Amino acid sequence: MHIDLKKEIKESNPGQIGVAILVLMIVLAMLAPVLGRYDPLQQSTTTLLSPSRGHWLGTNHVGQDIWSQLLYGARTSLAVGFSVGVLGLLLSILFGVSTALIGGVYDRVVMRIVDAFIIIPMVIVVILVAAYIKPSLLLLIILLSVLSWPSGARAIRAQTLSLKQSGHISASRAFGAGELYIAWRHILPDLVPILLVEFIYGVRRAVFMEAGLAFLGIGDPMVVSWGTMMHDALRFSYLDVWRWWLVPPGVALSLTIIGLTFISHAAEAVVDPRLRDEAVA
Amino acid sequence: MTPDSEMKPLLEIKDLRVSYGNDMVLDGIDLAISRGETLAIIGESGTGKTTLGMSIMRLTEGKIRGSIIFDGKDLLTLSEDEMRRMRWNRVAMVFQNVSNVLSPVHTVLEQVAEPMVEHRLRNKDEAREKAGELLATVGLPESRFSAYPHQLSGGEQQRVLLAMALSNDPELLILDEPFSSLDVATRSELGNLLRQDNGRRARLVVTHDLDTASKLADRLAVLYGGRIIEIGNTRDVLKNPRHPYTRALIRSYPNMTAVKDLQGIKGRMTRPVSGCPFHPRCTQMIDICRRELPGLVWNQGRAVACHRGGVATILSVKQLSKNFGKVKAVDSVTLHIEAGETLALVGQSGSGKTTLAKMIIGLYQPSRGEVFFDGAKVVSRTKDFYRKVQMIFQNPGESLSHRLSVLESVMEPLEVQGIGTKEERKEKAIRVIGEVELPQTKDFILKYPHHLSGGEMQRVAIARALVLDPVLLIADEPTAFLDASTEAKILKLLLNLQENRGLSMLYITHNIAVARKVSDRIAVMLDGRIIEEGPSNQIVAAPKQAYTRRLLDAAPSLVRFETTAAD
Repeated sequence: MHIDLKKEIKESNPGQIGVAILVLMIVLAMLAPVLGRYDPLQQSTTTLLSPSRGHWLGTNHVGQDIWSQLLYGARTSLAVGFSVGVLGLLLSILFGVSTALIGGVYDRVVMRIVDAFIIIPMVIVVILVAAYIKPSLLLLIILLSVLSWPSGARAIRAQTLSLKQSGHISASRAFGAGELYIAWRHILPDLVPILLVEFIYGVRRAVFMEAGLAFLGIGDPMVVSWGTMMHDALRFSYLDVWRWWLVPPGVALSLTIIGLTFISHAAEAVVDPRLRDEAVA
Repeated sequence: MTPDSEMKPLLEIKDLRVSYGNDMVLDGIDLAISRGETLAIIGESGTGKTTLGMSIMRLTEGKIRGSIIFDGKDLLTLSEDEMRRMRWNRVAMVFQNVSNVLSPVHTVLEQVAEPMVEHRLRNKDEAREKAGELLATVGLPESRFSAYPHQLSGGEQQRVLLAMALSNDPELLILDEPFSSLDVATRSELGNLLRQDNGRRARLVVTHDLDTASKLADRLAVLYGGRIIEIGNTRDVLKNPRHPYTRALIRSYPNMTAVKDLQGIKGRMTRPVSGCPFHPRCTQMIDICRRELPGLVWNQGRAVACHRGGVATILSVKQLSKNFGKVKAVDSVTLHIEAGETLALVGQSGSGKTTLAKMIIGLYQPSRGEVFFDGAKVVSRTKDFYRKVQMIFQNPGESLSHRLSVLESVMEPLEVQGIGTKEERKEKAIRVIGEVELPQTKDFILKYPHHLSGGEMQRVAIARALVLDPVLLIADEPTAFLDASTEAKILKLLLNLQENRGLSMLYITHNIAVARKVSDRIAVMLDGRIIEEGPSNQIVAAPKQAYTRRLLDAAPSLVRFETTAAD
């Protein structure tokens, strides 16, 4: 039962690639002020420049440095991704574990809500809501978190229900332990692998959603985002600029999502050993 | 003292207290013996049995208070001269220590004749003739009449002493361990002899030997710490002891009717300064036992000195049922467990044993019925309840968390209950780990379950259940996953723990062979119902139900003995 998560990811090739890509993105995002040289929001009169020594990827239609925008865009993407990942996961744990342990009417009500959330496509709900409230970054994080917990909650509930039957939890109850103690001491530690997978799903979904919303032009225009960059670049696609304006954010976004997908693929093997490679097993 | 006895008793002892210096050896003894009756005083060594006999003879050096009324006269007020006439004539005693009493320089015939001559009841020749008769009656061969004591065996010496005591035909005969140096065959013979001349004589037998008592006595008085704690008809007391001490004494006695392994009584006999003398060793002690002395309470010729009115019922379930859908897993089960006893629940798998246990511990909600613990109905199970009732599960590999080390596992109940500081918990856990005979080394207590053998895991699980010092332990097939030798060790451990801690136990097993070894009573379960219940020996020897007989036939028996009928 002791699963070494690090080992599992290390020993899978896609896992290693995924981690490498993600680490690269995080490093770039953190070093944005150093590598960027320009304020990504600072406008200038030199618009639509081609790549040059001063502007590695040229400038956009309002004279902002595209290279700086790309780096700061990574910050936005990852910040939204990880925040929603954490917040959504907390909600998933809260509802997943509590429904499994408490059961009864509470369980049935929450699970019907989960069903409803899962049936209604999240993208449409987000677009509708976002279009009305024009959310700031913080509001966007909250909105995405609130909409993304149900699928995780259902998986966690299923796992908790099976854990709940195990002997050491019965034993713990027979010492007089309450539900909170059992959840904290016995259930959560055994949920770690599935929590990791759910977390990475959440991050990936949030990165994608944030970029998508920005691309559609919904969201705060004052936030540097890969989605916004692509949205703007598309309007000038008749010029040559798409090569250094549209493609870089697209590639960065795709790489980030591929990286996360590779990691989650490797992590899934942790939860379900049947997915492990024969050679590794 | 029996209120319903019509005859005036021959001997009546009232509030007898005997002390040696500051040591109170006997403390408030009330007893009565009628003519024709045999009363046995039983108890462990050091309870003051012999002192009681000696006090009646006024041969003890201790200070005697109270009154010993013999045939209307208080022996304690007689002058030494009057007492001397009383001794051997009307009240005689057979001493325990044979060799000290007989004179080494006279033949046994002379010695038996001596009291008669001394008390001038007969002349010398008559006395010798009578002595010969007596010696013949007690079964000494005539060829040995003129032997000296050292030429006789212990058994023969004891016969001589008995003849001496009988020589003046006393009305009260006190026998102190009369059979201690006799073999079993001689015991029955002399026992019959003593019973023969019933009618006029009263006998007081002082013994630690339950067999002697059961062979000789009509009534039994159990002495503990200088006090009588239970008194009643021999058969009743032995069959259905009411005081926890009496029950423990019977349990520790090797005999043919018990099937359970012998069990001692926890602790040693001490004389506590206050409260019930038995409280330090008692399995059902409550607060008052420590403070106040319980008095003898009479009820239909039976008396028990216990604040709880005798052996208490620790757990009882009434009409307990559990349905899973249409299946009646447990169907109206009623049973009880006494403090300090083991009830074995026997039945095949699927008979509802575990379901019943889980309802008692609160892991299942019963569909119907009630659970009573220590006299009170269990409505909701609080932490307090779990401090007193603990369970050992079938599969230790499952019941121990794979994430917790041995130490952490054993500490968990204390943590849940919020007992002590972290250091205190650790200390306690390590102590209990030692109690279940596991190594207390740092190396061992930091191991995880998958590094342990099945037997070790179950010991850890037992330690974990015991760390809260429960009074009732539910053991659900604790040895099901263990090999025979490990099983034997775990069973021994459980029995020892029961002895040392005075635990009550509900022991669940499918194996009636195990049940008879560990339990005082057996309840047989089939299809969710208790079909037969009774003392283990009775269930094993004379099962009433066909199903119980089947279980017994199916029980492991390595060598089947063919019983051949002798013509």
